[in-house]
Amino acid sequence: MKISFIRSLTALAGASLLISACGATPTAAPTSAPAATAAPAATSAPAATTATTAGGAYKIGMILVGPYNDKGWNQATFEGLDYVKSKMPGFSFDYVDKVNSADRPNTKGTQVADDLIAKGANMIIFNSDDFKDDALETAKKHPDIPVIHVSGDYAWKDGKNFKEQKNLINIMGQMEYMKMLAGCSAALGTQTGKIGFVGPLINEETRRLASSAYLGAKYCWTNVLKKDPKALEFKVTWIGFWFNIPGVTLDPTKVADDFYNGGFDVVMSGIDTPEAATEAKKMQDAGKKDYYVHYDYKLGCDIAPDACLGSPYFNWGPAYLDAVKKAQAGTLTESFSWNPPDWKNINDPDTSAVGFLPGKALGDKSAQVDALTKGLADGSINLYKGPLNYQDGSVFLKDGEVATPQQIWYLPQLLEGMEGASSAK
Amino acid sequence: MNAQLNHIYKSFGAVQANVDVSLTVQSGAIHGLLGENGAGKSTLVKMLSGFITRDAGEILLDDKPAEVRTPADGIRAGVGMLHQDPLDFPPMTVLDNFVAGKAGGLFLNRRDAVQEFKILADQFNFALDVDEQMGNLTIGERQQLEILRLLSLGVSTLILDEPTTGISASQKTALFDALRKLAGQGKSIVFVSHKLEDVEELCNQVTVMRAGHVVGTVDIPCPTSTLVSMMFGRELAAPVKPPTCQADIAMRIQGLTIGDDRIDVQVADLTVRRGEVIGLAGLEGSGQRLFLLTCAGVLRPATGKLYIRDANGLCEMTGKPYHQYQTSGVGYLPADRLREGLIWGLSIQEHVVLRTSSSGLFIDREASRQVADQAIQKFNIRGKADTRVGQLSGGNQQRTQLALLPSPLNLVLLEHPTRGLDIESTIWVWQQLIERCRNGTSIIFASSDLDEIVQYSDRVIVFSGGKVSTPIETTALTAGKLGEMIGGKFGNNGNSAYAGVN
Amino acid sequence: MKEKSQSTSRALVFRPARGLTYQAGALLLSFLFITIIILLTGESPFRVVASLWDGAFGTTDQFARVFSTLTPLVLCSSGLIFTFTAGLYNLGVEGQIVAGAIAATFILREFQAVLPAPLVVAAGVIAGMLGGILWGLLAGVLKVFGKINEIFAGLGMNFVAQGLAIYLIFGPWKRPGIASMSGTEPFGESLWLGRFGQTDAAPVALIIAIVALALTIIIMRNTHFGLRLKAVGQNPRASFILGMPATRLLLSSFIICGAFAGLAGGLQVVGLFHRLVPSISSNLGYLALLVVMLISFNALWIAPVAFFFSALNVGSLQLPMVLRMESSLSGVIQGTLVLLALLARGFSERARKAAGGQ
Repeated sequence: MKISFIRSLTALAGASLLISACGATPTAAPTSAPAATAAPAATSAPAATTATTAGGAYKIGMILVGPYNDKGWNQATFEGLDYVKSKMPGFSFDYVDKVNSADRPNTKGTQVADDLIAKGANMIIFNSDDFKDDALETAKKHPDIPVIHVSGDYAWKDGKNFKEQKNLINIMGQMEYMKMLAGCSAALGTQTGKIGFVGPLINEETRRLASSAYLGAKYCWTNVLKKDPKALEFKVTWIGFWFNIPGVTLDPTKVADDFYNGGFDVVMSGIDTPEAATEAKKMQDAGKKDYYVHYDYKLGCDIAPDACLGSPYFNWGPAYLDAVKKAQAGTLTESFSWNPPDWKNINDPDTSAVGFLPGKALGDKSAQVDALTKGLADGSINLYKGPLNYQDGSVFLKDGEVATPQQIWYLPQLLEGMEGASSAK
Repeated sequence: MNAQLNHIYKSFGAVQANVDVSLTVQSGAIHGLLGENGAGKSTLVKMLSGFITRDAGEILLDDKPAEVRTPADGIRAGVGMLHQDPLDFPPMTVLDNFVAGKAGGLFLNRRDAVQEFKILADQFNFALDVDEQMGNLTIGERQQLEILRLLSLGVSTLILDEPTTGISASQKTALFDALRKLAGQGKSIVFVSHKLEDVEELCNQVTVMRAGHVVGTVDIPCPTSTLVSMMFGRELAAPVKPPTCQADIAMRIQGLTIGDDRIDVQVADLTVRRGEVIGLAGLEGSGQRLFLLTCAGVLRPATGKLYIRDANGLCEMTGKPYHQYQTSGVGYLPADRLREGLIWGLSIQEHVVLRTSSSGLFIDREASRQVADQAIQKFNIRGKADTRVGQLSGGNQQRTQLALLPSPLNLVLLEHPTRGLDIESTIWVWQQLIERCRNGTSIIFASSDLDEIVQYSDRVIVFSGGKVSTPIETTALTAGKLGEMIGGKFGNNGNSAYAGVN
Repeated sequence: MKEKSQSTSRALVFRPARGLTYQAGALLLSFLFITIIILLTGESPFRVVASLWDGAFGTTDQFARVFSTLTPLVLCSSGLIFTFTAGLYNLGVEGQIVAGAIAATFILREFQAVLPAPLVVAAGVIAGMLGGILWGLLAGVLKVFGKINEIFAGLGMNFVAQGLAIYLIFGPWKRPGIASMSGTEPFGESLWLGRFGQTDAAPVALIIAIVALALTIIIMRNTHFGLRLKAVGQNPRASFILGMPATRLLLSSFIICGAFAGLAGGLQVVGLFHRLVPSISSNLGYLALLVVMLISFNALWIAPVAFFFSALNVGSLQLPMVLRMESSLSGVIQGTLVLLALLARGFSERARKAAGGQ
C-alpha cells in the first residue's frame, strides 16, 4: 500500500523532470559513394549487444535521451546506426535509450558512456543537447575515444561556447533549409493565410528553426502566390518542452486544436511528438480542410497522408559513417559539422544530411516547393539576406547583408512579422 | 413487533458478558434495560441488532426464529439500533446520511428523499435542515437524524443505547415524545440506560441486569429503592483503610467547570487534605475522567481555580503546563495502561530512563539498570529490567506504573487502579498507595467497583451524567443511597450547588 | 554486571528474533516472485544476476558509482531513521535533498569568485544542510502546528522544491546562452569535491555519510534523545503522560532528517553533478524510504541494505544495455522486497498477538 503509493509518487515527481531531444542534423559526408536505400527500421535489439569487434571491426556506443522508436528525433538519430551497419561489415553498436531522470533516475550520461566504453565501444554518440556537459566530461575522461555530441556547439571554434577538447565532435544538420521548404508548403497549403507553429521550449535552435519556417512561408506567400505579406499570419505557441508533460507544459493537443479552431488551417510541428498530425486527422475526419507539416521523422506523413503537406527530416547515417571512417583513419579531431543537404537530391540517403518529403495533400504544388529548393541550391535565393528585422523592429540584416552561420545559429529573437514570444519570461 | 431473546450466552475471551439472558419486548411497549456499566446491556442489544453474534441462545421476532448476523440483517428483519455515538459520516450532509444505506437503484432520487425526510421530521417535530453538514450538528440532532433514518428503513423494533447522555433537556423531551408516539404506533422500543429517572419517566417495563445476568423484570411504576437494590443488590464491603489524613491542605479547587463535546462537569469548592483518599463513584463516562485529567494538568478547565501544595506551599496551578504539575509532584495513572500510561515496545529499564530528568546526553545504562532492578524488587514486578512492558501481565504493568510515579509525590490521580488485577495484586497496590498516604500523598481515584470505593476512600464524590455530589464521608454511606445517586437521584443528599449543567 | 548491561544494550537496538522466520520467508518469497517475473519476460535469472553483478562491480567506474549512490542513500536513510522512529512518514525527504542542493548551489555561485575554493565548497555543503533543515522544519511546522499530515505536507514541499529548482535552472540561474534541462553552468573543477581518480566517487562525501550513520546509531541506542524519540513514536499519548516534550521531539526529528537530506543534496552538487540539475535528488530520497522500511527502522542495517540497493541501482543499467530488459526491474526487486518484508512483519505481529503477547 505504502510502497505502491510511493512508487507512483516517484513516477509523478520524475515526470516533471523529463528530458528530451532537440532537433539537429548531421553533415552528410559528401564523399561516401555506394547507393544503398533508405535506412531500415529499428533493428532488433539483442543482436546488437555482444558481438565484440575483431580486426577492422568498430563499435559505437550510443546514448539516447528518449525511446529509440519514438517516430521522431530519437528514432532518426538511432536509425543512423543501422545505416552505418549496412555500409560497414564488422560494425556493431550498443545503445541505451531513455537516459533521462524520469525513466532512469540516478543515471548520468557519463556513467552510461563509461559502461558502454567498458563494453568495447570505440566511439560514443550523445543524441541530445542536454548531454552537452556529459559529452565534454566523457571526452575528457576518455581522450582516446571520439565523443560525438549531436546538436551541441562546444566543438565549434567560431562559436560562442568553444571548449578545447580534441576528441569532442559536434554534428548537426542544416535543418533550416528544410524548414524553409516546410514553411513554403504551409503557405501554399493555407486557405486562410493563418499558419500555426507548435514550438517546444524557446532557445537558439528553436528560434532559428521557427524563423526559417516563417521565412519559407513568407517567400512562397509573396513571391509564388503573389499575396500581400500583411495578409499572412504566422503564430508560434511554445508549449514549454519537447513534448507534453501534464501540468508542466501546455498540452500540445490543445494548442493544435486551438489553432485549427481559431482559423489556422495549417499547423507546423516543432516538437518531438505528433499532436499536430493527429489533430489534423481528426479535423479532416470531421470534414474540415485542415493540414499539418511534420518534423524530424521521414515517414511523418504516413500518420495522416490526406492532411500532410510535408515532412522535413534528419538523415544521420552518412555523418556517422563519415566519423567512423575518419576515426579509423586516425583523422578525426575536434570539429563542428553543420551539415548541408545534398542539393542535387535532398532526399538522397547516402549524401544528404537533411531532407524534405512533400505530402500527398500538397498535390501538384510540390512543383513550387521544388522551385524554391532549386533556388536555394544554386544560391539564387537566400532567405537569410537583408533587409530583415528582428521581432522588436530592430535591424537583423541590413539591405543586401547575408547572415553569418553564427548569426543564424545564435539567433537572439524571432523575426519581424512572426507572432509569439522570443524568449521565456 | 415482538422481540424475544431466549437463553442468550456471550463471552469475550474469559469474560462472560451474557449468561442465560432472556428478554421479551412487546409490540407497543417501551422496555427499559437497566444496569451498571459492564452489566451486559450493550452486549445483549448488539446481538439483537446484529452488531455482534451470540454464542448460544435464540432470537425470535414475532415468534419466528431470526438469524441476525450483521446490522444489515437486523435492518432487514426490522431491528434498528441507535448507538451511544451515532454512527454517521461527518463530512456529509444530513440528507446524504439520511439516504446512506437505503436500498434502491444506482441513482438517488434526491427530491423524493427530501420529501420523505420532511414528512418524517415533521411528524416528530425534529427541526433538521437537510443541507446542514453533519459536523455542525449536536449529538442530540445527530440522534434525531439517526432515528429518522432507521424509521425510513422500516424498522419496527428500535433500540436506543444510552440516548440521553450528552443531549439537552429540550432534546430529551422531544426524544421521549417521539418514542412514546412510536410505541403508540405499535413499534417496540428498547431503552438502554443507567439513569434511573429516565427509565422511570419513560418506560412501561424494566429489566435489570447485573454482571451478565438478568436480575429481574418489573413494571413501572416501581419504587426506586427496588430498582437500586436490583442494580447494586448487595451489602457494601466494610472500609479497610486506616486513617492517614493530615491537617494540611494538599489541593484546593474553586468553582471548576470542565467540558468536552459530550458532557459538562461543574465542581464547586473542594479541599483535599494531605494523606486523604477521595473516591469518585459513578458509572463510567459521568465526568470522573475529565475531573481527574484536570487535576493532573492534562486538561485545562474552562473556568475556576486549582491550587496544589508543593515544597513551596499551596500554589495556583490553573492554566500551567502539564510538566509543571509533574514537577510539583502530581502523578497520574491512566486506566488504559498500554494506551496511555506505558509504551508497549519499551522495557521497564527504558521507562525508568524516560522518567529520569537527567539532562545528560547519554543514557547511564549502569545506573538506570540499578534503578530498574530496585524498582522491580520493591514493587515486586514479575519481569526483568529489559522485559518490554507489553509482555507484562496487567498487574505487573500496574506495578510498573506505580514504580514510575514521580517522587516526591504530593497528589496522585488514579483511574480504575485495580481494574483487571487479581486479588493479590489489588491488595498489594492498595498497600503501596496507603503507604504513600502515610507519607502525605493525597489520592483521588475513580473506580467502577463500589467495594473498592468504600473500602479505601475517606470521602466519596458521586458523578452522574456530569452532575457532581458533595463529598460524603464514607462512614455515612449506605448502599441504597450510593446506588440512587449513581442512578442520578441526588435528592437532598446532593447539594444543589453541585448540580452539573447539562 | 558487565554481562548484564551488555545484553540490555542489545535489547535496546535489536528487534526480537521472533520475526526472523517470517523475514527469511519474505526474502525467499521475494526471490521466488522475482525469478518468476524474469522467467515470464523470457530471460534467464542467472543472466540477470550476472549482468547486475557485472554492472555494479565490473569496472572501477561502476564500483565508484555504487559508492556515489551509497552516499546520499545512507545520509537520507539515517535521517529517516529519526523521523520514522518518531512515528512520522517523512515523504518530504526528497524535497529536502533538493532544497539542500539549491542552497549549496546558491553559495557556490555567490562566493566562487570571492572566497578560496575549499572554503566555498565547505560553505556550500553546510548551506546544503541548512537548506534541508529549513525544508524539513517547514514540513514539521505544518505537521505539528498546522495539523497537516506529514505525508501530504512533505509531498507538497517536494513539489515546491522541485519546482523551485526547475525555475532557477530555467530562469535566474540559466546558463549563458540557453537554459537547458542539463542544469546550470558546471562549476570549475576547483569547486569539485575530490574524487577517486576520474570516477564518480568522492571519498569525503562517503566519510561524511559514514559519520552521519555512526551518529545515528549512537544517538538511537545510547542517548536520552533517541529513547524519547522512540517513546513518542510508539505511543505519543503515553509519552505525553510520562512527561515527554512531544512537540520538541517531533520537530527535532524533522530537523535532523532535513539536515542529513540537505547534506546529501549539497554533496550531490559539489561531489557528483558539479552543478544544479533538475533531477538532483535522483529519487534517492524515495529509495531511502524503501531502505528504512525494509530494515524496520533499525539503523544498524542501513549500511548493508543501502549498499545492496545502490549496487542494484547501478548494476541495473546493464539490463537494457546487455539484455535489452527494462532497468526498472531493479525497482520491482526493491519494491517486492520491501512489500513482502512489511507483510512478514504484519504477520509476525499478528502471530505474536495471537500467542498472547499482549
